[in-house]
Amino acid sequence: MFELGKKDGSDSGHDSTTTERQDSWSSTQTEAAPSSSSGASRETAVIGRSIRINGDLQGEEDLRIEGDVNGTVRLHNNTLTIGQEGKIRADVYAKSVVVDGVMEGDVYSSERVAIRKSATVLGNITAPRVALDDGARFKGSIEMDPDAVEKALGKTDTDVKAIAKTPQKSKANGSTPAKAAVVEDVATANQSVA
Amino acid sequence: MIAANSRQADPRAIAQPERFNAPLFQSLLERLDSGKRCVVLDLGTAHTQTVALFGRYPCRLDIADVVDGLDGLNAEVDPQGRLYRAEALLPVTHAEPADAVLCWDILNYLDRPAMKALMSRVAARSKPGTMVHTLIVYSDTHMPATAGHFVPQEDNSLLDVAIRHDERPAPRYAPTDLTDCLPGFRMERAMLLSNGMQEILFRI
Repeated sequence: MFELGKKDGSDSGHDSTTTERQDSWSSTQTEAAPSSSSGASRETAVIGRSIRINGDLQGEEDLRIEGDVNGTVRLHNNTLTIGQEGKIRADVYAKSVVVDGVMEGDVYSSERVAIRKSATVLGNITAPRVALDDGARFKGSIEMDPDAVEKALGKTDTDVKAIAKTPQKSKANGSTPAKAAVVEDVATANQSVA
Repeated sequence: MIAANSRQADPRAIAQPERFNAPLFQSLLERLDSGKRCVVLDLGTAHTQTVALFGRYPCRLDIADVVDGLDGLNAEVDPQGRLYRAEALLPVTHAEPADAVLCWDILNYLDRPAMKALMSRVAARSKPGTMVHTLIVYSDTHMPATAGHFVPQEDNSLLDVAIRHDERPAPRYAPTDLTDCLPGFRMERAMLLSNGMQEILFRI
């Protein structure tokens, strides 16, 4: 069982890589302060750099990832930060996203995505505002059409609310039927030209 | 294959980033400024200013960042392999063709077979009327060792941020060379710029 670090991201001094497998992780199990009525929390949960997670992450507080995450990350009302040590292969649904590390996957943000100069991003971004620092490595698409963003986020919002109401069973690769439906619907079946 | 014989540029000749007007690039932006949704395929590296510029339009910006893959594409001798490599350099299409393609100076760093392969995959992601903008080294015999150093500015001019420590011979493609290597593309306009480059707008 890994310990969830707060703010400083300490991982209890583990020297070797600790591989943990969890089907789901909910921040309501942490000692974080209760979410305010707006859904924002004052503390940031941290996944330390020795931690690896395969599966779905959902939470109601800000999250900083310095470890490895494969699957899906849903922080509907909060900020996700992928730290410089962080490596994620996941689709992300969050209010705001800041990328300093490595990200492979699609990002749906209702507010803002910032890709810092140390970041490497391979995937597609859908957000009303996107900032990319010079020096950042990015390959993929950035959806900046407000109508398309609103439509995509409206659908992901519905998806998140539906998921929040039902117990989640994630597969080993982190995909869920609801996620698949959103990705197919919003992305209109990404196809590579033969 | 383009010879990669590099030379060291005279350090005294390394200037500050050079801003220059690119009328055909501005013309392309004006055509995108219709309020309609558009898709722009940028073959170059992601830049802050490019994202900021196209954030002004209701568009999807696809950034391919093919620069690191150019040498590998040039080195591929198998024609089918070349096509696969070219395809792998480009982002997925999202089933929505591009309205505009920004090649920047990338075509200068491709030999003819590689250019044909890459642009055939670009054509497959385009539609009739898609515009392709490119900058071709025209008057200089040498060019920076790597591509992808042109950055759009707020006033729609371009900034050349190349650090010219290392240079390589420039192929100095003529318009007819490009037309041969870009099947299906029609040269719409060409202009000689103050920095010695030729700016060309193609249309599919």
